[in-house]
Amino acid sequence: MNALEPLVGEARERLVARAKREGLVTVGYDVMDSPLGPLWIAVGPRGVVNIHYGATPDPRELSRITRAYGPGVLPDRRSCDRVLTELDQYFAGRRRSFDVPVDLAALTPFQQRILAATARVPYGELTTYKVVARQAGNEQASRAAGAALRANPIPIVVPCHRIVATDGTLGGYAGGLAAKRRLLALERGKAEVPEGGWEPSRR
Amino acid sequence: MTFGELLERHEREIFAYVLRLTGNRADADDLYQETFLAAFRGWPPPRAGNERAWLYKIATNKAIDRVRRTRRLVPIADLRLAAPERDGVTLSDLGTAVRALPTGQRAAFVLRKVEGRPYAEVADALGCSEEAARSRVAEAMKKVKEAVR
Repeated sequence: MNALEPLVGEARERLVARAKREGLVTVGYDVMDSPLGPLWIAVGPRGVVNIHYGATPDPRELSRITRAYGPGVLPDRRSCDRVLTELDQYFAGRRRSFDVPVDLAALTPFQQRILAATARVPYGELTTYKVVARQAGNEQASRAAGAALRANPIPIVVPCHRIVATDGTLGGYAGGLAAKRRLLALERGKAEVPEGGWEPSRR
Repeated sequence: MTFGELLERHEREIFAYVLRLTGNRADADDLYQETFLAAFRGWPPPRAGNERAWLYKIATNKAIDRVRRTRRLVPIADLRLAAPERDGVTLSDLGTAVRALPTGQRAAFVLRKVEGRPYAEVADALGCSEEAARSRVAEAMKKVKEAVR
């Protein structure tokens, strides 16, 4: 089969281009080889719909994408070019915020407000589940805020790694706590996260 | 299921199949695209779990249509990518013999003898009964054996 791989790869590129011209493709995806391991990335008509820690999509996320955009989900690096470039720059320490649009339309209004509040936390800073819950309109809902952040379909670009527990401990992370530590260390210019975490801002 | 899942699971074997049927890369490339575009346009697959047979059927029909349309048979120069040498017959002999087969027998031969698909799948891909598939393969075998003798 190995002799076939390049032939199939080229045929696939032409197939995807034709399917796009016919309007059969709604979401394009690609797999990025990042410093945190492979990332499965999907981009729809309104922006990035999913970044998943892994080389294959998360089945629940894929169902959500299919419900919103139909079955026209195809491998297509071109659709992902912009977010791939921005992620490369981010991992190289040359980008502090993302300009690529994100598509949160398929989420509940509460999740959208939590993620919008999360997106406003600046590079290298930390805030707490309680603060984002308050900004989303319900200070009591920090546990629900934690759940919404764990289900964040677009980690890194929507920087849920900047949200920690009130006592400064890291809380949880969809990509695993090691990934959260690496992202925070990258943004804060430290090799490692200090013992006991960092002091979150009290805004 | 999404288009991407269907493509990633089956594109390699479908490409290999149409390459064996057509014998050249340009035609295989076209048939691969026509097959998957037809699948996307005809979505969803008729039976869940049987997408592979569905794709073989589309590919076979597209290949037959193509031969009817262009009224030409293409060389099997790339058969070396596919079939192992058997019974002391050179691939060049085999290629010539397979090339001479009528399209239906040729598809039946490639599906059964090169791809090793069960008769039920050969029949499905050709849109005929299993008995007819067996008879096409047998007829093709007879002709190929005569040709390479």
